[in-house]
Amino acid sequence: MLSVEALEKSFGALQVTNQVSLQVPTGIRHAIIGPNGAGKTTLFNLLTGELRPTAGRIVLDDLDITHLTPDRRARLGLSRSFQRNNLFTGLTVRQNLAMAAIVHERRGRCFWRPLAGLSTIAERTEEIADIVGIADVLERPVRELSYGIQRQIEVGLALATAPKVLLLDEPTSGMSPEESGRIMHLITELPRELAVVIIEHDMHLVFEVADRITVLNYGKVLLDGTPEEVRSSDVVQETYLGGGLD
Amino acid sequence: MMTSERLRQLITFVTFAALVGYWSTTGYFGYELIAEIAVFAILAMSLDLVAGYTGLVSLGHGALFGFGAYMFGLFTVKLGIAPATGMAAAIVATTICALLVAMVVVRVHGIFFIMITLAIGEMGYEFFFKYRYLGGDDGLVGLPRLDLSGIGVNLSDPSVFALAMIVVTLCVFLVLAYLLRTPYGRVLTGIHENPQRMRALGFPIRAYRISAFALSGAIAGLAGTLTAQHTQFITPQLLHWTTSGEVLVMIILGGLGSLVGPIIGAAIVTLLRHELSSYTDYWGFWLGVFLIIVVVSRKDGIVGWLDYLRQLVAERRRPETAEEA
Ligand SMILES: Nc1ncnc2c1ncn2[C@@H]1O[C@H](COP(=O)(O)OP(=O)(O)OP(=O)(O)O)[C@@H](O)[C@H]1O
Ligand SMILES: [Mg+2]
Repeated sequence: MLSVEALEKSFGALQVTNQVSLQVPTGIRHAIIGPNGAGKTTLFNLLTGELRPTAGRIVLDDLDITHLTPDRRARLGLSRSFQRNNLFTGLTVRQNLAMAAIVHERRGRCFWRPLAGLSTIAERTEEIADIVGIADVLERPVRELSYGIQRQIEVGLALATAPKVLLLDEPTSGMSPEESGRIMHLITELPRELAVVIIEHDMHLVFEVADRITVLNYGKVLLDGTPEEVRSSDVVQETYLGGGLD
Repeated sequence: MMTSERLRQLITFVTFAALVGYWSTTGYFGYELIAEIAVFAILAMSLDLVAGYTGLVSLGHGALFGFGAYMFGLFTVKLGIAPATGMAAAIVATTICALLVAMVVVRVHGIFFIMITLAIGEMGYEFFFKYRYLGGDDGLVGLPRLDLSGIGVNLSDPSVFALAMIVVTLCVFLVLAYLLRTPYGRVLTGIHENPQRMRALGFPIRAYRISAFALSGAIAGLAGTLTAQHTQFITPQLLHWTTSGEVLVMIILGGLGSLVGPIIGAAIVTLLRHELSSYTDYWGFWLGVFLIIVVVSRKDGIVGWLDYLRQLVAERRRPETAEEA
């Protein structure tokens, strides 16, 4: 359970996050929507510790993580994918996923056994490659691959550490329809011990997967409700969906 | 088709075969040269671990090297401890020193990292330059060599010493090559490639950087104790930033992040210094020209060039095999 209380963030005079509160119970599929520049990515950066909030609290399973480092939060079960691909471009797909598998198997400090001899890491790597659908390009260098496939690796890296809360920042942007269909299917198939918070622009995909939706606008929560509530809200229709839905 | 990995193994084999071949045919001057190459090869590999693999370009490794040499001098000449114990103690002392330095320097990045390691190195240089107890700017004489007569090895024989130095270089290479294949080694590479992502995955990157720097310091300290035993005379010049700069030149020339490249770089720079300097006063100039070519070609030094050649050959061959099939 991730809970966010009255979070605030300003860049100078610009307030990008304004009194944002959020409850993410175990197993939920929570979508965050809002126009460009609404502060969605900033919210993720605050949750993962990449940015420090100016005020507010972040609590993960009764532990106040507001002031913990990003790596501590990750080890506590908070994982994210990035809006812009953030991979190890000089390495192969296998080497990329192995990095996350090393975390998952807690082998980062192992300096006495060759990586190639650790079957659990290879297994985890291949398992994740299968899940996100990149098993056939495992040995290819990442920089040779298409944007859509790199996007799948991006999601794979976030998933491979087996987090409690998975934060996905526009995972399907730039993907082909098949690729994005696959990722959306994947999200619905994820085990229910896991909570997923997803930033997504495609409203059809949002209504397909989300149990709950938060609408952000100018850093503020405009509305927090079920997909039905959001769909029928006049405010949301006007300010964000522009009446263009259905 | 030869893989990149296989090519590296081949280069490593040829490099050590060349060193041993040279050793078996040369005389006194050659032995001295080999010992010097080995010392710098070990120091260069130590720097490659942090600069080439972890992404921490240090300009203070000369100081760690000199610190190791001086600690060896302190323990053996001044405190009368046996060379073997003194050597171990000097390496431990350098590791601790590197650990303390690392805790400070990993807080900054890029050009600031280079400048702060440079500054700390210069502080070390100034200290030993002024510290009369350890000879100050006159340096320290009468450093002993390890006594291995118990196992029938006479290190005071220049030929034996040179061969022993090749063996130590090989051992350091093998240990580091192994380390880089472990998960820990892979994490260091990941931190070099994309520290932000590594942190987001859950790696405490600062702790990894500190540990890599300390380990690198241990190896630089080892190189220091070896140069002390080789020349049996040490001066603060060992700690000077020009030593650090020269070692950086070696690894860039040979191939950053290739482990064997630094050995080749150490051999070339040392040979150039001795050979070219007898023909021309401009050896540094030619070394500079060579370095510019390497950097501008963007091929990661000599090892990078050889790998590029391998790819060219592989691409030439590919269409032929396709036709056969
Ligand atoms: N590091 C920063 N310094 C200053 N301003 C920033 C910084 N990061 C984000 N901003 C500003 O904060 C606002 C919100 O940015 P953010 O990236 O969170 O938006 P977003 O909702 O993710 O938008 P998009 O849908 O385009 O990804 C923008 O106006 C942006 O310019
Ligand atoms: Mg964004």
